[in-house]
Amino acid sequence: MLAEKALDLIRELKRTSGGTLPPFNEDKIRQVLEEVQTLFEQNRDTAKYAAEGQHDVLAAIQLRHAGIQRNKRCLLAYLYNRLENIRRMRWEFGSVLPADVKYNMCEHEAQWFNQYNRLLANYMRSIGESGGLDLTQDMKPPKSLYVLVRCLMDHGEFETQDGTVILLKKNSQHYLMRSECEHLIRQGVLEHIVQ
Amino acid sequence: MLVRDFKREFYDVVQHQRVLVLVAFDVDSLCGCKILQYLFQCDQVLYTIVPVTDLQELEKAFLENAEGIKHVVLINCGATVDIVDLLQPEDHVRFYICDSHRPVDVHNFYNAVQVKLLMREDELSTIPTYDELFRDDSEDSGNESEDSDTGYKKKKFDEESIMRRQEKRRWSENRVKVLFDYTKFTSYGTSASLVMFDLAWKLSKDTNTLLWLAIVGVTDQYIHFKTPRDKYMEDILTLQSHVSRHNQRGGDNENTLSINSLKISFEEELNFPLYRHWTLIDTICHSMPIACKLRLWSLKGQKRLHEFLAEMGLPLNQCRQQFGAMDANLRSEVKGKIQEFMSKYGLDIQDVILPSFSLHYGYKSQLCATDYVLSSIAVLESGDKSRSSTDNFLEACDILQKGCTDKMEAGLLAAKLQLRSIYTQVQSFLEMHQIISAGPFLYVFVQEGTADSSYFTHPQCSIRLARFALQAHCAVSRNKRAQSLPLVLGAPLRQEEGTSLVVGIPPLDTDDERKNFFGKAFEQAAEATNTTAKFNNFDSYIIEMKSEDKSKFFDALISILQ
Repeated sequence: MLAEKALDLIRELKRTSGGTLPPFNEDKIRQVLEEVQTLFEQNRDTAKYAAEGQHDVLAAIQLRHAGIQRNKRCLLAYLYNRLENIRRMRWEFGSVLPADVKYNMCEHEAQWFNQYNRLLANYMRSIGESGGLDLTQDMKPPKSLYVLVRCLMDHGEFETQDGTVILLKKNSQHYLMRSECEHLIRQGVLEHIVQ
Repeated sequence: MLVRDFKREFYDVVQHQRVLVLVAFDVDSLCGCKILQYLFQCDQVLYTIVPVTDLQELEKAFLENAEGIKHVVLINCGATVDIVDLLQPEDHVRFYICDSHRPVDVHNFYNAVQVKLLMREDELSTIPTYDELFRDDSEDSGNESEDSDTGYKKKKFDEESIMRRQEKRRWSENRVKVLFDYTKFTSYGTSASLVMFDLAWKLSKDTNTLLWLAIVGVTDQYIHFKTPRDKYMEDILTLQSHVSRHNQRGGDNENTLSINSLKISFEEELNFPLYRHWTLIDTICHSMPIACKLRLWSLKGQKRLHEFLAEMGLPLNQCRQQFGAMDANLRSEVKGKIQEFMSKYGLDIQDVILPSFSLHYGYKSQLCATDYVLSSIAVLESGDKSRSSTDNFLEACDILQKGCTDKMEAGLLAAKLQLRSIYTQVQSFLEMHQIISAGPFLYVFVQEGTADSSYFTHPQCSIRLARFALQAHCAVSRNKRAQSLPLVLGAPLRQEEGTSLVVGIPPLDTDDERKNFFGKAFEQAAEATNTTAKFNNFDSYIIEMKSEDKSKFFDALISILQ
């Protein structure tokens, strides 16, 4: 069916609307592009007849054109949504993405990601006082400066900003500054206990 | 040194500094720790909590975490040993000990700089005076060295120095005697959680949740036979005034209070374990005083129980249902009926009724303090060997958290299993006549390879088992002296290493004191026989030893106690 493959791409997007990035479906994109190409060539051929005064082919041309437009829109939506996804991950995971996400990006996306990274870093450095401001932290206003955490694994020693060294041993509980242990919570070393 | 003003000398000092909190493995310390945690979080005091099971772990945990720490809080551990000598801390480290174990080590009491005791003053009145324990010997030794320098002649006729030496000998003899008298019995003081709650109260930070934790802590002490009933009642009275202060409602406001708020009420509870979550028959069987008085492990006892139930007018099929599913009018009558007919079956009011508190929270069925204690201790001392002790600790922490109903339910289930295994173990002790009199005391061993022996490797559970066994033995024994005999229980601890846990509990007729002399006795027996017993536990009457040394050790124990 016309534009069926493009719809597949959109469906794929919908299926993976979690925190993951599916592999870049280059194969399908090529197929859609080929379809667009054939539709365009067919239109070009039939357009000759139209020019010669055969008005009954006009409807076919319209239909094929609509197909081309639809394919284009689907492709753009696919690419745009992936970029959005990557951008969201930048805010969530920080400047270094997990390996599996990186592996699933196509070359252009990786390029875009690097540029976005640079832009964001430059901007964050320019605002705030001397040291800049990390905008990615505290996306929601925190309820308290400190959080209660539990160690899920033996992590070894951890030095806080004020220089004290804390031993993160499995099943010990600590009351720490939120900003300091946030990345450890993300890594799964610590568990945040909500009371 | 004893801290008189908790707020000024303890709480204000630790502000803005990182605190290390070391917590022992029992429900009371857990509750105390949770109260302290709440206070610290209110004031943003940074802390690290490490649970410790015995002295060895205490030492290890301190070494690992001591870096940069100035203040160490010890909850229910460390008071009975010389903590400075054990841990060898740097000079700037301060220890704050909130421990219910008595007697407190004299070095801790008289160390004015590094050790602060968070305890009630009136409980430490028996401690020997400073002059009896320590004296400044520098003068003496100085003289002595001088004497040896100037020569033999002078020393010989120096009457003054002879007198001094004589006096010194007398003093040191007296010191040994005083110290022995002081450390002869181990007992328990006010629970750590109640002390912590008092602190919270003084800081005006007490809430219903904290009050509940204090109640659970106090109940834990009573359930594990640490405090006598008088002391328990005294604490309950104190707590009751707090309860009425916190749960007071004006007559008109009654409807405005949300169901989701936590409510505590004083109640004359039935002293049956977990009865709100169990069937009536089961809970009666597992209640220690009734099971012993009616001898429920025998066929005759079961018949007597049925008779008792029949007389109360409770149909059997109702009693075999979950308590909550019984007919509503029967259920409400149970307490009154039992009190009406108990005297006929030789039951006292103390066996049946326990003044306690219950908690209402949301629409779930209400929970009483003993439910909390039993379920958290069952999780804390779970028989599952695949879980580490610290896993259990965190799990038990979660149970005490309000609103964790699913964990609470799992805890109740574990508690039932634990109660059941204690009961069957006692039953098999009696049926096989394993409780043997050794003259001055009774002893019993849990056989290796018993199905539930993993439960009895934990201290609190083995105390309960020992107590149940002793009470049951006294109920069936024809020997009149049984009441005045203590019991020693041995249980296999780690089979691959061939070690056992040995617990000694005092005789029943001294029950209104609950003082235990086994700590000292075990120590002497181990010394006399040169066995390598480990006095690692915070309770000195619980020791660990090689199973092969057992007979030697017991022979020595017999001769000591005679």
